[in-house]
Amino acid sequence: MAVGGPVPPDAAGDGWATPERGGRPSAIRPFLLTAGRVSGGGKAPPIPIETQVVSTSDGLSVLRSLTFEHHDIAAACRRPQSVAELAARLRLHLNVVRVLAEDLCNAGHLAVYVPNARTAQDLSVLRRVIDGFRAVPDSRGSLRDTS
Amino acid sequence: MNSRRCRSSWSSPAGGFGVGKTTTVGSISEIRPLTTEAAITEVAAGVDDLSHTPGKTTTTVAMDFGSIAIDPTLKLYLFGTPGQDRFGFIWDDLIEGALGGLVIVDTRRLDDCYAAVDYFEHKDIPFAVAVNAFDGAVEHDLDEVRWALDISDHVPLVVFDARSTGSVRDALLVVLDVALSRAESARTV
Repeated sequence: MAVGGPVPPDAAGDGWATPERGGRPSAIRPFLLTAGRVSGGGKAPPIPIETQVVSTSDGLSVLRSLTFEHHDIAAACRRPQSVAELAARLRLHLNVVRVLAEDLCNAGHLAVYVPNARTAQDLSVLRRVIDGFRAVPDSRGSLRDTS
Repeated sequence: MNSRRCRSSWSSPAGGFGVGKTTTVGSISEIRPLTTEAAITEVAAGVDDLSHTPGKTTTTVAMDFGSIAIDPTLKLYLFGTPGQDRFGFIWDDLIEGALGGLVIVDTRRLDDCYAAVDYFEHKDIPFAVAVNAFDGAVEHDLDEVRWALDISDHVPLVVFDARSTGSVRDALLVVLDVALSRAESARTV
């Protein structure tokens, strides 16, 4: 079984090692980054926070032309991760990341994989999760990321 | 299908402040728990009672989460959120696609988790209630807790230690068993 979750940062600057730009987050209001939009602009509900996002090759090829948060998100998403992880690592507001991720997706720079909500009722998935949990040892020991 | 794609689901421990949500997530997660912020947006603003703070238009709350890779294509996320009803807007956000929930109880502050118990019951989400045994001590017996929180008989109530990986694992397995039996009975109906 693959050791899950993110690995410590690489030198590519994927957000782990990058503290907030420009000091404390209160410097600007969070939704200024999204021009006040609170979701992607459509009528669809916001994407679930466990939604996996990953940069497309197109996104990575134009990375240098992207700016600020768009750039940071596309760079961080070299490795697939959830919207929640992305928000935590880039220290951006969760709902801001949702909006910006949808922008990047619409531009073709980011692939967004919305999880299937029916998974929660899927017997085979539930059994896999239960088997996975049973395999969790009594103590985690050194498995944890200590970055 | 993109081989890097992960399916994901999660379970959300919920309880009042300081009852061990972060500890619980940290005990079972394979990664150091991360924290993100969720805030009331204009859509959710009606949920929070802001009447005590006129002029205040947003509330931000930290949400801890961790993850476990079940296998190379399935990853489980665990989210820890405060249990008071003023944070209900976050629960709505988390509940879609959730496998289930674990309501963590501190028996010294039973009131703090009443709303979470109520919420899961109403939303019909598989859940269990777990009493966090601080230093092995539980101040009330479980029957008293069940009565005080008005927990239905079919909802499992367990004692666990948020600091112990094995204990958290077993508590979450109780939730998963509820989810599994519910899914099984839904299929046979």
